[in-house]
Amino acid sequence: MFAMDSRIRISAAIALSLASFQTAAQPPLFDGMGRAGVKTAAVEYLFPEQVTLPANTPSTVTLHFRVAPGLHINSHTPKDSYFIPTEFSIPDGSGVRLEGASYPAGADFTLPLDPDTKLSVYSGEFAIQARMVAAAGNHMVEAKLRYQACDNSACMPPKTITVAMDVVGKQ
Amino acid sequence: MEERPFPVKRNTLVIGAVLFILAVFAWAGWANFEYRKQSAERLLANSAQGELVAAEEDGAPYATPLKGKAAPAFTLEDLSGKKVSLTSYKGKALLINFWATWCAPCKIETPWLIELRNRYAPQGFEVLGVSADDIDRDDRRKLAEEKKEISGAVQQLGIPYPVLIDGSSLSEQYGGLDSLPTSFFVDRNGTVVTAQLGIASKDEIEGNIKKALGAK
Repeated sequence: MFAMDSRIRISAAIALSLASFQTAAQPPLFDGMGRAGVKTAAVEYLFPEQVTLPANTPSTVTLHFRVAPGLHINSHTPKDSYFIPTEFSIPDGSGVRLEGASYPAGADFTLPLDPDTKLSVYSGEFAIQARMVAAAGNHMVEAKLRYQACDNSACMPPKTITVAMDVVGKQ
Repeated sequence: MEERPFPVKRNTLVIGAVLFILAVFAWAGWANFEYRKQSAERLLANSAQGELVAAEEDGAPYATPLKGKAAPAFTLEDLSGKKVSLTSYKGKALLINFWATWCAPCKIETPWLIELRNRYAPQGFEVLGVSADDIDRDDRRKLAEEKKEISGAVQQLGIPYPVLIDGSSLSEQYGGLDSLPTSFFVDRNGTVVTAQLGIASKDEIEGNIKKALGAK
């Protein structure tokens, strides 16, 4: 009886040891890649990860995004025609069609070295209202958000990120 | 019933050993958590400002690995389709300015570049604007549209110096060009004397031009 108890205890200790080693092998809590703007993504999709919509009926889904601290991106309606607008899209063949999207108004922003020129930008968190029509069934949608980010002194090239969503079209 | 002291002692020893092992691993887990937490805080602190500017070195605004080396050679087309080589500017001090039509800070510094170029041209200084706007070489119609757009921006900004296209193709040689504007100041021998990532003050640009010209 004692021998059995002892074996159980030792097994428990080994299991706990292994669990501790597994913890030790995990990466840092925040696995950023350095300074924002150079290697860190300027825009992050927050939620929803899953939506259930009535099949074949236009429905509005609010998509939440966050711009990295210290950066801004052009709004959907930048003030200069050369600037690249923020644009949400859903590729054809996704099982979900984008009927349209409502974007928030951009906030007026001026660069410290040019206080006379106003830019229209998003910073911090922002949300896009997307009108979607989902076919019946479950669709793993890889929607896209195109944007162009800058800080107060420099800009990164335009970028397109994937907005991954599980869309359920319910009959 | 007869007492059996040895198994009881062994039992105590096993419990003690297990408790010790548990304590060691609990400590290891806590220490690991603290380490990861501190690493996360350091990384977050580094990214909090969202700066695009690289670390400073010797007071230079951008520590390019090209500093002190020959500016990588290139041949690009200008907006009229004429091929322009870096070597054709041998003997001149140069500011190679990577910019794009969509880059707001680039447009702020352009009038300063024009003014400084006109001021220092008699001393053998030139600015080479290199557009990093995407171009589509496989689609002639699209390429023509893209060139037209760049030309429109050049006209709007009143740029008098040569503007070359397809700057993104030089990304690897010129350190990635992760952000714009990025400028390289090249002396008369073709050596990069300093570089600047992001917009700087006009005085700073002028100081770098003087370095490229070899003035004290």
